[in-house]
Amino acid sequence: MSWESFGVTVAAFFTLALYSFLYKDNPFYKLAEHIFAGISAGYYVGLVWHSIIKQQLWTPLFGEKQYLLIIPGIFGILMFTRFINRISWLSRLSLAFVVGSTAGITLIQQLHGMVLPQVRSTFLNVATFSGIVMVVGVISTLIYFYFSKEHKGTLGFIAQIGIWFIMISFGASFGYTVMARVSLLIGRAQFLLTNWLHIIK
Amino acid sequence: MNAFIKVISKFKELDRRYIFFLIGIAVILPLLFPLNIPLGITQPSQNLFNKVDSLEEDSKVLLTFDYYPSTLPETEPMSYAALRHLFRKNIKVITVTTIPLGALSVMEGVVKDVAREYNKEYGADYVNLGYKYGYQAVMLGMGRKISDIFPRDAYDNKLDSLPLMQKVKNYDDVDFIFIVSDNATVDYWVSLVNARFGTPMGAGVTAVMAPKCYSYLQTRQMVGLLGGMKGAAEYEKLSKNYGRAIRGMDPQSIIHFLIIFFVILGNAGYFITRKKEGSK
Repeated sequence: MSWESFGVTVAAFFTLALYSFLYKDNPFYKLAEHIFAGISAGYYVGLVWHSIIKQQLWTPLFGEKQYLLIIPGIFGILMFTRFINRISWLSRLSLAFVVGSTAGITLIQQLHGMVLPQVRSTFLNVATFSGIVMVVGVISTLIYFYFSKEHKGTLGFIAQIGIWFIMISFGASFGYTVMARVSLLIGRAQFLLTNWLHIIK
Repeated sequence: MNAFIKVISKFKELDRRYIFFLIGIAVILPLLFPLNIPLGITQPSQNLFNKVDSLEEDSKVLLTFDYYPSTLPETEPMSYAALRHLFRKNIKVITVTTIPLGALSVMEGVVKDVAREYNKEYGADYVNLGYKYGYQAVMLGMGRKISDIFPRDAYDNKLDSLPLMQKVKNYDDVDFIFIVSDNATVDYWVSLVNARFGTPMGAGVTAVMAPKCYSYLQTRQMVGLLGGMKGAAEYEKLSKNYGRAIRGMDPQSIIHFLIIFFVILGNAGYFITRKKEGSK
């Protein structure tokens, strides 16, 4: 048996072990679950070491003499001061940098890349039927989420329309989610029948 | 009529394992004995195909592998179909991933497979940039200079030593970005890269993400969209690369009918039981 077919057999065993839970909880399912959790944790540790610490700090700093990297390196080490009560406040310096830079990027990204294009395209298409439906949907849904006034009379009527739009969008999302989950099952069945059992090509 | 009502009422107490068994059969049988149920093409898939098809020879396309192995049945066929389509048209491809867990191995497997099929040469026809931590910084940094973010490719070659990368410095030199994603990175490609650098892009995403991504078509931030295994099957059909997604559409359709049947039956059982309890 080659290493490849051994790997396929192991994958097939774990697939069947996990699906055995559909009948009832059993030791094979538990074994597969625990091995998966353990391997994921180990893989992640290796990944962080290789793709962050080694690739982005150790090699450029000591191999390519990029000494500016000492600064983010120190910021990284400061994060660990959270474990020492006396100097734990130092970790806030690193956190401040992370929060500040993330907020800056996200603010621009959301406003420039999301909100403005969405608003612009919503109101550019009012000449078509679907455009009108969209404008009605956007406004009524926004009004549904306006809680500063009781939803009565005209406001209540528009909010009710908003609920319908929200329900339709939930339905569409649920339909797509069913399709996604079924696809995963089909993928596993294809793997078992093709790669493992070689019943289909 | 009473017998029918009795049977429907019984469904409330049905052991769910019978449903699991039926679903299992509905998946396996059509895979063994294909029915070839007709597959329609949606406009967003057609638009994405048309855009890629309209690219000229030697154009440069950035193909992303932003997905975890857990969604392979939906996403991997998209990558295969896209890459085959691109290589068949002699388009230069740069691959990259912003996902750490497993995506690198998947990307290497797919790219090597398809490159071998089309006899493409590494460095001249395609380059694999690999993975770099911190996708927001990576996406923005590549707009300035790709080699600043990826000084070396996935195989530790200096980027400037690769003939293809000597012609591609940043997004200005990229003609199209084809995103295949199962997570929020697609939002960042659109809202950071398209919004700031204006590079045209399209995406293949998992079915769960598709409803949200349709809004990017409305804003014209994306030219086309593939949603889930159905989208992958459509692209396979359009590009004449018949693969696993098309084969998966028979069981997909049958299970959908089965689920609709169960939903109707379940609701009928619920209303009949409620009516019976109300009349007591």
